[in-house]
Amino acid sequence: MLLTGLGLGVALGFTMQRGRFCVTGAFRDLWLTGSTRWLTAFLIVIAVQSVGVFALDAAGVITLDPQPFAWLATIIGAFIFGFAIVLAGGCATGTYYRAGEGLVGSWFALIFYALFSAISKTGALSAPVAALRGITVEASTIHGVLGISPWVLVAVLVTGVGLLARHHLRLRSSLPVASLPARTSGIRHLLFEKKWGAFTTALIIAPLAILAWPLSWATGRESGLGITGPSSNIVNYLVRGDPQLIDWGVYLVIGILLGSFIAAKGSGEFRVRLPDVTTTIRSILGGVLMGVGASLAGGCTIGNGMVDTATFGLQGWVALVFMIIGTGAATRLFITGSARVGVSPARVPANQ
Amino acid sequence: MAQYILETDGQVCPFPLVEAGAAIEKLDLGDELTINFDCTQATDALPRWAAESGYPVTHFDRVGDAHWTITVQKA
Repeated sequence: MLLTGLGLGVALGFTMQRGRFCVTGAFRDLWLTGSTRWLTAFLIVIAVQSVGVFALDAAGVITLDPQPFAWLATIIGAFIFGFAIVLAGGCATGTYYRAGEGLVGSWFALIFYALFSAISKTGALSAPVAALRGITVEASTIHGVLGISPWVLVAVLVTGVGLLARHHLRLRSSLPVASLPARTSGIRHLLFEKKWGAFTTALIIAPLAILAWPLSWATGRESGLGITGPSSNIVNYLVRGDPQLIDWGVYLVIGILLGSFIAAKGSGEFRVRLPDVTTTIRSILGGVLMGVGASLAGGCTIGNGMVDTATFGLQGWVALVFMIIGTGAATRLFITGSARVGVSPARVPANQ
Repeated sequence: MAQYILETDGQVCPFPLVEAGAAIEKLDLGDELTINFDCTQATDALPRWAAESGYPVTHFDRVGDAHWTITVQKA
């Protein structure tokens, strides 16, 4: 049964690599270009998943069990995480799939992210993290606070996201975007060459995110997609050797790495790429802060931003807002404020 | 009409896009800017940026494993 995690991870990693699904990019674009195209794709995943999750809950396949909201740790952790993913050049899944593309900077980010998740969850930093997460309010979900059925929120979210998606599709239809020349045809072209649209990618990820719930549940891991917990488990397993730590989530994240490698290799997009000094330092620092931030916030861009939001958890939505604010702060500091000094295009002599 | 080349290999996203945006501002109308890049995500971001800015793409291709080149004309 644990192997379903591997299969789902492979499908997810493959889809994210081919679709260039990057949550960091989605948040960063808001501050950099003002574009909401990728954020809309991200919201499509949340909206579609919310329908599936509450249907599974109603059918008794899973039982949602909201926890008291650790508001202070969530706010601080989400801001740190949002800041960190700009430094690392990718969020939790983004870092996994870029590692699969051969980006050595992402290997560094991934190693330090997993290490500092373990340190924050079960190691030297676990006491202060647990103390901060102990500061809670009784409320845990939006529909609980409002005293309404979650289906009202599902309807509002699906309608809102639908309108946003329609707005983007109308914009796009009038815009000719250049694409790479095709070299293959048929299924190979479709899988390894064709450009997957942002919304198509979201509509493939959403059912995978829904499917993760019952598949994970069947193995005793009672939650949906998650990246930080499994990453921490891998480190704990490696140093302690306790096979109990290898759960469905561990198979999932290994699958993401494998799936993105298959996708990148198959489409000629795999190459071991060494980062420069600045990128290396940023990747390591980003990974460290991602581990600490996600542990404080109780989840990353996936666990909180994409999964807890679909259950209308207060933690998920508050984390989403503060991750975006953190991403904005880092974008101002490290991107718009620090393009490579003195870089200008070289002029090609006219006779060439 | 002059040709310019911007090498961004090794730069992770969004830097190829940010640098291309800064570079094209220095060019004259009709000049062409070739951007060489190895960040996968820029295969989505750069042509979209060109389309949204109204710059025609005169060339866009792979040049090797995880290596791409795109040429846009300032218009």
